[in-house]
This record gives sequence, structure tokens and C-alpha cells, in this order.
Amino acid sequence: MRTESTASEISLPWERPRNVFEARALHLVLAWSLDEPDRLGEAIPIRDAVCVGRGGALADDPAPRGQPFRMRPGTTRSCSPIASARISRLHLVVSPTGNGTAEIRSVGRAVMRVNGRACTSAEVRAGDVVEIHNAAVFLVTERPLQLPVVDEELTRFAFGAPDRFGVVGEGEAAWEMRSALAFAASTDRHVLLLGESGAGKELAARTIHGLSSRHAKSLVSRNAATMPESLLDAELFGNVKNYPNPGMPERLGLIGEADGSTLFLDEIGDLPEAHQVHLLRVLDSDGEYQRLGESKVRRSSFRLVAATNRPLEALKHDFLARFTHRVNIHGLGDRRDDIPLLLATLLKRTATRNGAIAAKFFERRGGEIAEPRLAPDLVARLLRHTFTHHVRELDRLLWLAIGSAPADYIGLTPAVEAELNDSEESATVVAPTELDRDAIVKALAENGRSPSKAAKALGLKNRYVLLRLLKKHGLSAASEDGEGEAS
Amino acid sequence: MDPRILRESLETVLAMDDKFPRRFYEILFERHPQVSSLFVRSSAGAQQKMFAQKLCAIVDHVEDAEWMTRELERMRVAHDEYGVTAEMFPWVGDALLDTLREALGSGFTAEVEQSWRVAYARLTSTLLKER
Ligand code: HEM
Repeated sequence: MRTESTASEISLPWERPRNVFEARALHLVLAWSLDEPDRLGEAIPIRDAVCVGRGGALADDPAPRGQPFRMRPGTTRSCSPIASARISRLHLVVSPTGNGTAEIRSVGRAVMRVNGRACTSAEVRAGDVVEIHNAAVFLVTERPLQLPVVDEELTRFAFGAPDRFGVVGEGEAAWEMRSALAFAASTDRHVLLLGESGAGKELAARTIHGLSSRHAKSLVSRNAATMPESLLDAELFGNVKNYPNPGMPERLGLIGEADGSTLFLDEIGDLPEAHQVHLLRVLDSDGEYQRLGESKVRRSSFRLVAATNRPLEALKHDFLARFTHRVNIHGLGDRRDDIPLLLATLLKRTATRNGAIAAKFFERRGGEIAEPRLAPDLVARLLRHTFTHHVRELDRLLWLAIGSAPADYIGLTPAVEAELNDSEESATVVAPTELDRDAIVKALAENGRSPSKAAKALGLKNRYVLLRLLKKHGLSAASEDGEGEAS
Repeated sequence: MDPRILRESLETVLAMDDKFPRRFYEILFERHPQVSSLFVRSSAGAQQKMFAQKLCAIVDHVEDAEWMTRELERMRVAHDEYGVTAEMFPWVGDALLDTLREALGSGFTAEVEQSWRVAYARLTSTLLKER
């Protein structure tokens, strides 16, 4: 007999369950790995308690193994178990608390650090950084378990690599942006890109242009803030020779140059109101414009992609209204999980262009340039830094690290450290349980009982801090027995 | 030979920064400088990582006969190509054991030593098998 059910039969699109993309969870995203540097960006979802360790499940695991995934819109590809030799077979046990945090416990050999502090257990939340000493760095992120589907064409590039327009990122924000740019590209309407400087607005404009029907012609790109005000109209609309001033060369004008193509105007918020009005007039008259000193009316069919890092009030209301699409270009604060991939891309680009840097800072495998020697503490600190100039700033910090490197690896030098802030208080409440006795005993045993090395492994400032802690716990650095008890 | 002992001892030494594989090659090249000229394709750091990781994978899979056959055959072919000869195997074996001894200190018990000796002997005989 048929039941009179309606709920399950409704097939109207807006009635379908939407929760597939709404289910979210904390994830551990691999940000650095000594042994498996090609696995950056893989994410282990923490929906229920999971074990993290080398290899497959063990008989006495307290929970199922956390599965690393490469998450892409529409697909999540499961990856092989962690194979890093320095991670214990059972290293971390991570359980969601239900309050948007997870309890993380370290039972492995190498010391765990949360936001730089050694501990054996901690409550972590999105933005926190979990290190396994000299083995791996994970960023805790909160993201959906599945990314909304995008046009398959957009996904045709290697995981973690730059896409064909140079945009790097596999996180939720990066894919949301790619999807929004692709939609804008398909419509031929004017687009306003919103984002802080250094976030990648030019790449976004290139993406729109490259995906649009206008891609055969080259993009015309200009920064409004760098155009002298006296020449603005001439720059935009062009001028005949010797007009308005004798000796002025003929200009086609950006509008004329962009005929059949896309005009990208960065920092449009810096365009004085009068010039916004002039531009608006062209947009309203379907591309009709006049060169300075010429009575002939010309027409240019161009699409305007403008960008600004200013509040929208800096734009005249009716000018603003001409932009059908507004796309947010996220800063690094919204896409921390992409920082490791950006670092890898920037470093790789540097190595291919600069042989000396490649020779000094990169490993070679089977005759090929391989991964950079990049210190985990630098990555961990960059993941916690509050960026103001985003990708541009990351690039600058990387060069600073390279330039100030005292040895053959790229690390957290005093020069870099001076530029970094730690978002510790602003971000999240992490409560690495007070550095406990076990962690100290373990660190000493693993570092040949050297207080300086053990202090470093524990993330302490110096060995004196460790010596104080030893005293507090009634331990001694020098004693030879496994426990390190003071007699 | 107890796989658990192999794993425990290797995990312990690997947790000590990158000292273990670095020290292993130091000892090997100090005693047999002639082999160092075979190590040309990879940087020292990469070679050390690859060695540690492979050793770890082998120890993790000692009970997995299928994996061992497949992987060791691959290694045999590769090491043949690198110009590795039979006489070099004991050199590497001794360097490996001495590195473990040095790193583990009093943890390098007779039982640990025995397990590693047996394991390395088996590995050698597979890698040198007549083809
Ligand atoms: C415990 C046994 C051994 C392990 C786990 C091991 C592991 C490795 C690994 C992972 C590589 C990297 C390239 C590849 O994967 O093929 C390698 C290369 C090499 N191994 Fe071994 N190996 C072992 C024994 C030996 C022995 C006995 C020798 C003799 C000297 C040797 C000499 C070499 C050489 C010459 C290379 C090539 C270096 C180069 O490409 O520049 N290995 N080994």
C-alpha cells in the first residue's frame, strides 16, 4: 500500500535538501611535512573522534583512522595514509567537543606543539596550529565536508598548484571566489572586485577576462591611483596630437584600447568623482566616447572590471550601481589553509627563476629540483600572522627569510620574526594544558638530555625556562635514568 | 626477530630530529669513502629522508609478504642500477647497526641488536637474490 507521503516526492529544486554543503566540521589541513612535502593541502575531517598516525589502522586504536582527503568542488578524493617516518603509528587522537572545538591528545613519540607551545593535550579551534616536532604542521580549519560543484573546466589543474590564471588555493574561500569569477565572466556585465591590497585582485581580473568571450584580445590593465589627475581624461579617453597641451602625443585611451576586450581599472576608489562621472557617461551610452580634441564620436565595446580596497562609499552611488557583479577577493585571513600552497608556489617560482637560490635552499631528488628546505616554525608562524597586504606580504616575508637565512634552509630568522605578529589573543582561546611532566621527560629523553635542545623542542624561549620547569616538577636534566627523577 | 622491537627502536631514533639518517651516512662514508661517489642524484638531505622513510616503510610492512616482495624487487632493480655490489651490503648493515647503537644508548639491548641483525640479513638475501 502506498503511503501518502509528500515530503520525499517533492522534486522542486528549491525544496531539495541543501544541507549537503552546509555540513561543516573542523579539519586538520597539512601545512608542512618533512617527509611528504607533496601532500600539502590534504585535509582530515574531524566529524567524530579520529586517530592520526603513520600507516593504516591498528588493532588497539581508540577510534577510527582520520582519512586524509583532497577536497575539490564536487569530489573528495581519499588519499593514502600518512607515511611520514617521524610520525608515530598512533600519534594524535582528536575528538570534536560539539562546541566548534576539538580535544587533541598526543600519544606519539615526537612532541606536539599547539600554537608554539608544547603540550600533550589541548582544546583547539579553527585557526590554531598543531605541530608534530620536525614531522608535520597542521592548520585547524573549519570548512564544509563537501565543496559546492563548479564548472568542471575550472578544476582542470593539479591539486595545490596554481590554476591556469595563476590563482592558488584549494580552500573554501578560493573555490567560492573562482566560482563567482566564472559566473561573472559568463555574463559580460561590469564587475567590481572588492578586497584589500595584495589579495590578488589583478589575478581575479585576469581570470574573468580569460574565461570570458573576450579572451582572444589582451586585457587592458591600469591602476587608477597611479594616473596623474591632470592626465586622467586623456588616459581614459585618449587625445589627438598636441591636445590639450602642445607636444602631447596622440593617445588611444584605455577605453579605445579595450575595444572588444576587458578594461581592468585597479583602485577605482581613488578616481576623483568628476572622472567617475565621465566614465559613468560612457557606460550609460553603450560605450560611446570622444577623444580629447576630437569631435567624432567613437564607440568601444568593452567590459569594465574595477577593483577597490576602499569602502564602497568612496564610489558615487550611480557609478557603483553600474557594476552588476561584486566579487569579494578574500585576504589571507579568510584563507589561511591556502598559505602553505601559496608558499610552495612562490618558492617553486623563485627556484625556477634563480639557480643560486635553488642550489642553496632546495633538495634535489633523482637529479631534479625538489622541495625547499623550509623550517616548520616559519610555516607555523606565518599561519598565525595577521596579514595586511596578503599575498604580496607573504612574498615579501619569504624574500626576507631567504635574504636573512644564515644557513642552507629558509627559516624563522630574527629579521622575519620582527615582522610577524602572533594572532594568539585575537584568534582563539587555546588552552594547551600546562606543559606537563610527561612532555618534559619525553623531550629530554629524545634530545640526548640536552636542556637547550629539549627547550627548543618544547617551544620554550630558552633553556632557563626549561630548567625552571624541571625544578618545579622535581626533575633534573642531567640524571641518566629513563624517568629523569631528581634523587 | 620481533617486528615490534624494530618499530619501537626505529621510531625512537627517528624522533630525534634528523640526526639518525645523517649520522648513518656519516659513518658509512667515513668508513667506506668510495661509496659516497655513488650518491650523486639527490642532495644529502633528500637522500637521508628517502632512506629513513623507506627503512620505516619496510619495518612497517615486515609482516606483509606481498608488499615486501613487490617493494624489495623494485629496490633490487634500482640498487643494481646505482652500481651497488654485494660487498657493500655488510658495510651498510654495520653502519646501520652502529648508528642505532649510538642513538639508542642503553636502549640498544641484545634483543634490539638481534632483531636488527636478523632483519637486515633477510633484506640482504632478498636484495642479492640471483635473478
Ligand atoms: C636498508 C637497506 C636500504 C634501503 C632502505 C635503501 C634505500 C634507498 C632509497 C630510498 C634510495 C633513494 C632512491 C630510490 O628510492 O631508489 C636509495 C638510493 C641509493 N642507495 Fe640505498 N638503500 C638500502 C641499501 C643500500 C645499500 C646496501 C647500498 C650500498 C652502498 C645502497 C646504495 C644506494 C645508492 C648508491 C643509491 C643511489 C643514490 C643516488 O641516486 O644518488 N643502498 N637507497
